[in-house]
Amino acid sequence: MNYALAAVLLPLLAALLALGWRRYAAWVSWGGTILSLLCAIVALQQVLSDGPQQMLLGNWPTGLAIRWQLSELTALLLLLTTVIHSLVASYSLTSLRRLQVAADFWPLSSLLQMSLSALWLSTDLFNWYVTLELLGLVAVAMVTLSGNKSVAAALRYLLLSLAGSLCYLLGVALLYGQFGVLDVAELATRMPASESHMTTFALVLMTAGLMLKGALWPLHLWLPAAHAVAPAPVSALLSALVVKGPLFILWMLWSQLATVELSHAAAGFFLFAGSMALLTGGWSALRTPYAKVMVAYSTVAQLGYALLAIGLALRSADPAFQLALWLFIIAHALAKTSAFLAVGEMQHSLGGKRVQMLKGASQTMPVAMFALAVAGGSLIGLPPSGGFLAKWQLLLPLWPEWQLWLWLLVIFLGTLLSAAYVFRLVVLAFDRADPVKPDFAPQLLPQWLALVPALLVWGLAFGSHSFVHWLGG
Amino acid sequence: MSSIVWYLWIGAGIWGIGLYGFMRGPELLRRIISLNLMGAGVFMVMVALAARTEPTDGVLHALVLTGLVVAVSATAFALALLARLLAAKP
Repeated sequence: MNYALAAVLLPLLAALLALGWRRYAAWVSWGGTILSLLCAIVALQQVLSDGPQQMLLGNWPTGLAIRWQLSELTALLLLLTTVIHSLVASYSLTSLRRLQVAADFWPLSSLLQMSLSALWLSTDLFNWYVTLELLGLVAVAMVTLSGNKSVAAALRYLLLSLAGSLCYLLGVALLYGQFGVLDVAELATRMPASESHMTTFALVLMTAGLMLKGALWPLHLWLPAAHAVAPAPVSALLSALVVKGPLFILWMLWSQLATVELSHAAAGFFLFAGSMALLTGGWSALRTPYAKVMVAYSTVAQLGYALLAIGLALRSADPAFQLALWLFIIAHALAKTSAFLAVGEMQHSLGGKRVQMLKGASQTMPVAMFALAVAGGSLIGLPPSGGFLAKWQLLLPLWPEWQLWLWLLVIFLGTLLSAAYVFRLVVLAFDRADPVKPDFAPQLLPQWLALVPALLVWGLAFGSHSFVHWLGG
Repeated sequence: MSSIVWYLWIGAGIWGIGLYGFMRGPELLRRIISLNLMGAGVFMVMVALAARTEPTDGVLHALVLTGLVVAVSATAFALALLARLLAAKP
């Protein structure tokens, strides 16, 4: 547990140092991230050898203390966060000089890592509110790094995120008023036994708030604007990690606190919302003329798979659906990091925001284009990528059940749509007759760094056995 | 007890008015003020809930204090962004 604590505190320390010591902000923040990556690896090893651990902050008695818990799942999510942050920080070291306000990126990125790590480890409703709020504020501040053009989108993001938190907070207040505890494990023993209209209302409020913050259909409309306008490393962090926090809390709430009948009803809604997210997000990604907006809409669509997995896992006792949810989160985080970094790199060198700028990119910027295509392969779910593993876990229990054919059809259509938008990019990139000329010689190192997460997501296939084992599948 | 229920309803009402104002918009300043109303409503619900036991529930007071800090800083951030947005417009 001490190592997990260090993985949270090191980025905080790095952020404070980077704020005071602007000249070396990049190196301080990068160093903090790399050290926390090592801590997260050790923490995962400890959990695997000794089992889940918990700690009461400040040694207060149970009930009053904030409880942090490190299980296999949270250790894995902690590791994912630090891995993505290290990759993005390494990329930013080589490429961020182009941005005017580059020095501000570093403390914010460290703070983002700290708040998300604290979110994974927390187990009580109010601590989740605080970490969500921190996450939202830091994310908005990072969106504004691209200058005045981003302020309108950032303000809209901030206001919606605050409204979401206040819905969530009212739900927390109602639940606390009824049961007198905030800890989820404690609530789980009391809540399902005494269901009332009040608890249902509180859960609905919290769900609405979380769906707004997590950009889950139908409350996703702020996401493409905010994610597309941010600088490339920021878009990568936002799409890969930030939207996963509310998703995690959503799953914890419904899997632990709701009665069986209520969670079945909610599962129906999640299945519907997930399908709509898959179809509308995929369609919008296919139709949009801008490259970064396309990648952002693809996030909306991919979150639809996660919602489908939540809905199916709430309905059936099959652990495969839960496993699919976490695999989706891991695979999507890695693939989306690569996609945003590659698109950002090409947008910078080739000039222009439109998808058309990719014309002939396989010739002018082969490494970045390869990264985008490889990441796209995982988004489609081509074997043996991480996206394929997740989809396979989702499909396997669906085959024998004939009454679930509708969801098979939805997943099939969603896959076709994602294949369509990825191939739209690839076809353009191989149109070599009259390629878009780069404004200046493309830098090689950032392109290779953009490729690393995409290779990792394809490498997941080799480690999949241990993942399945750790997550209890 | 009945006065606590009364305050609970008032708090919920303020939250609802804030939500209505937030959704109606369209001026951004109105939305920021509406968010503060929603926050005030939630805090009022929490303070009213804290009074239902004797002595009053300290945990809820701590939550309200934390919530106030978050609300103040978030409002300041939103106002700063709004000022920047207005300054950027010609």
